[in-house]
Amino acid sequence: MGEFKVHRVRFFDYMPSGIRALAFNQHNERMAVARMDGTVEIFHCSDRFFQEKIIPGREQCGIEGLSWVGERLFSAGLNGEITEYDLTNQSVKYTIEAYGGPIWTITGNQQGTHLVVGCEDGTVKLFEVNEDKIQFERNLDRQKGRIISLSWHPSGSKIAAGMMDRIQVFDVETGHSIHRMLADRGVGTSRSKECMVWSVVYLSDGTIISGDSVGMVKMWNDHTGTLIKSHNVTKCDVLALSVSQNEDSLVVGTSEGFVVQFQFISMVLEKDDKEWVRTRTFRNHTHDVRAVAEITTAVVSGGMDTQLVVRPLLDKFEVKSSASALRKINFPHRSLVSCARKSGLMLFQYPGHLELWRLGESEGQGIPGSSLLVKRKPEKLLHLKVKGEDHIRCSAVSPCGEWIAYSTASSLRLYRLHCDNNNVSITKISKIPKVLSSASQLCFSSDSSHLFSASTQSSVHLVSLSQSGCKFVGTLKPKSGSHQAIHLLAASEDGKWLASANSDHEVHVYNLHTQKPHCTVPIYSSAVSAMAIHPTTNCLFMMHADQQMFEFSIEQKQYTDWSRLVQRKGLHDIWLGRDTPCLNVMFNPQNPSHVILHDTYMLCIIDQSLPLPDGKTQFYNQLTLKSLPKEQRRSHSHAFKVCKTFKDILCVELMSDQSLVVVERPLEDISTQLPAPIKQKKFAT
Amino acid sequence: MILSGAIIINSAICISLFTSRYCRDIRTTRWQQLLQPRLVTLVCLSLMYVQRCWRLIWRFPSSVCTKIRFTTLKETDKMSELTQAEFESSDDELPEEVGFDASKSAALKSVKDALESAKREKNLLKEKRRKRQQLYQEQKSRKRLPEDLLEEFDTEPQKQTELSENDKANNQTIKDEGETKTTSKTNSKSLPDSYSVKRVKDETAAKSLQQSAMDFIQSRLYGPGTKRTTNAEILSLKRKRGVNQGAAVEFASKKLGADVKAKVAKSNKRFLQKRKLVPS
Repeated sequence: MGEFKVHRVRFFDYMPSGIRALAFNQHNERMAVARMDGTVEIFHCSDRFFQEKIIPGREQCGIEGLSWVGERLFSAGLNGEITEYDLTNQSVKYTIEAYGGPIWTITGNQQGTHLVVGCEDGTVKLFEVNEDKIQFERNLDRQKGRIISLSWHPSGSKIAAGMMDRIQVFDVETGHSIHRMLADRGVGTSRSKECMVWSVVYLSDGTIISGDSVGMVKMWNDHTGTLIKSHNVTKCDVLALSVSQNEDSLVVGTSEGFVVQFQFISMVLEKDDKEWVRTRTFRNHTHDVRAVAEITTAVVSGGMDTQLVVRPLLDKFEVKSSASALRKINFPHRSLVSCARKSGLMLFQYPGHLELWRLGESEGQGIPGSSLLVKRKPEKLLHLKVKGEDHIRCSAVSPCGEWIAYSTASSLRLYRLHCDNNNVSITKISKIPKVLSSASQLCFSSDSSHLFSASTQSSVHLVSLSQSGCKFVGTLKPKSGSHQAIHLLAASEDGKWLASANSDHEVHVYNLHTQKPHCTVPIYSSAVSAMAIHPTTNCLFMMHADQQMFEFSIEQKQYTDWSRLVQRKGLHDIWLGRDTPCLNVMFNPQNPSHVILHDTYMLCIIDQSLPLPDGKTQFYNQLTLKSLPKEQRRSHSHAFKVCKTFKDILCVELMSDQSLVVVERPLEDISTQLPAPIKQKKFAT
Repeated sequence: MILSGAIIINSAICISLFTSRYCRDIRTTRWQQLLQPRLVTLVCLSLMYVQRCWRLIWRFPSSVCTKIRFTTLKETDKMSELTQAEFESSDDELPEEVGFDASKSAALKSVKDALESAKREKNLLKEKRRKRQQLYQEQKSRKRLPEDLLEEFDTEPQKQTELSENDKANNQTIKDEGETKTTSKTNSKSLPDSYSVKRVKDETAAKSLQQSAMDFIQSRLYGPGTKRTTNAEILSLKRKRGVNQGAAVEFASKKLGADVKAKVAKSNKRFLQKRKLVPS
């Protein structure tokens, strides 16, 4: 079936950055996530939280808040600038200086007309949202002390601002402060520190809910400016608040790592007097929870432990399904590792630099499951730092190992690598065609003669590579369709076909000899998470975010028979219930009917010649097959062979010498490098 | 005559003291406190020493005055004890004669003591100040770059200015840039690779504001007063209370344990050196 020598790689020190802000867009069901390094990611909530778009950040970004205004996304940070993002091209559209010092919070009103920011100098600045840009309208009354959090009243007439030690309510028309509510400082030693109101929420009935650094969630009445109720939630700070769309549920994120839910219900059944009651506590985080959001059926929280946790609220589900299970998103849904299959080199993409490693060698044979002696250790050949402050968007190494390309938001760079036995030298190709300014995805052809760079408007630039340098050959544009950015490229082995997948679920196939579009795969409702073209049959194999798989024959321009069989029969429930998407698809030249896939927790080989499992057969049957005698194995086996030996897999690649490379990143190693958590007292420790 | 005068004034003081004592006011009023030492000095010393005493009184610094106050309070206590003893014993006996010489010597001694203690204090302060000055000198000399680097810096800008003057004379601006480039190259040769030169002007106000805001958040969330612990602690607790109970992470993982072990080894070494247990 498959005996592979596996290189277990753990020297990729991938370090994700903590989540700083969340913003949910009700209309198109997208969740925007801002991380501490400035990266903004868009997740599609109904498509198994697939990470659709990634807008890379930059050094010293200090992003503090995100806000949707209609379909547009704005962010503000401690560098004093408001940024609008171009979601079609996955880049920054423009930035505006607010001239108020560091900006602590940004929020838009429900009507989608205005945007308001809270600044360090105590001003609340009102911006008008025009069609192409935002324009500064006026300042509300300037206050003493920084504005930490803001919230619009749903009608758009009043704003509640959380500051140091107090909450102020502003009237938007006049700009004057209506009420001033004082928040208590703590007892004991915390009496000397000011109480920071980290987050406020303004409800439509006039209740203002605030969470502060003392650990209290307080409900205020804005008509009289007095406190209604105060709840002591934690001994440390309450960092984030979020209220649901129909204002009957409030989610509170704390510094200790747990998320508390309050619900607006009546204490006595069938009576009408409702009040906010603390109901549930979710303990899914180990570090501070800095952002929470409540979507219609789940509570999404993220914090300094870099995980995005989606906790569905079980009272909204009737049937137990994959949508009602806890989901933790640890790793990005894009591959950060690219391999030079023919020369045994691997390129690791970090935000600020690239690392090129050569794999080690082992000696001897062994029984399956054993580990072999390492004869030569893996060595780091190259550490390539990025010039400038932008983070790397995508990178690639050619299969022969001679070319390295990477792209940031503003530039694309190509390098030629000379690798003798001991000496490694790298030369930068300075004359790059001007067309190649920034790429959303990079791919080398299998014979390393061409570089494919996906750029704006779903087009792909072709560049030919040679000893003398690179030359622009042409641009591949789709016949029709959307202008969304491409996030996946796949080139065929014979150099004739190129497939591209963009964020609008469109997959286009181009003929490279004629440089014209060849065909378009029918649009499926879920995004493509991985795809590859078979070396001999030239069939495009696609894996989607909802774990469906399709095989499309490029030459015949239709789905293959095997793919139709899979769709007719349906996939096994265990396969469909996996919660992480497949990120890489490979083929084995020695066994043409094998397809090798992986996701974060498993490695799978699909044998297209074997029968498919139906709902009742045992899915993980490797162990049972081992126990059976050889003659019976053939009759009991099915197409899916799953190996669960490796955990926290970032990438799996098949090298040309028939060895597998599995890049793992244990979550424990990540958690040892996170910032300090709050001390929690546990019984008997 | 002197003796009678002394007795009269002595009794006057005793009466005043008694009133203060019977009023149960341990803290005598300010004017009484002020007057007492001077009265006592007058009493203790004869008219011959009055002038000298007055001069001494007005020359003393305040600390000495307090010293005198304390000593005199002690003496007055003694005197009041004497008078109490007087009251306790019979009234008919004559008061004990306190010799003039004895009291004079006692007073002189107290004054001398006061003076000496003042001098000692001054000397101590001087010593402290001198030590501190020495420490500052040492720190200053430590902060400075090594001598050879400083010499290089001194010579380099001179070279640059000379070159620029020559080129200005030649009126070839392109050469000027080239020359300065070469000099800057030679400049950078002297600095190690990890050093970089930045002008103070280039650091914009926005960046410093951003930095201070980030420091503020850092201090509020992770600074003093917050109950933070380490990641190793949390992981070790998980292991301790988990399904498969295991040892703390510092012992289980080599990477984490290495730091702790290094620290322990260092502190052991320091301890041994301090106690001089290792024969060197």
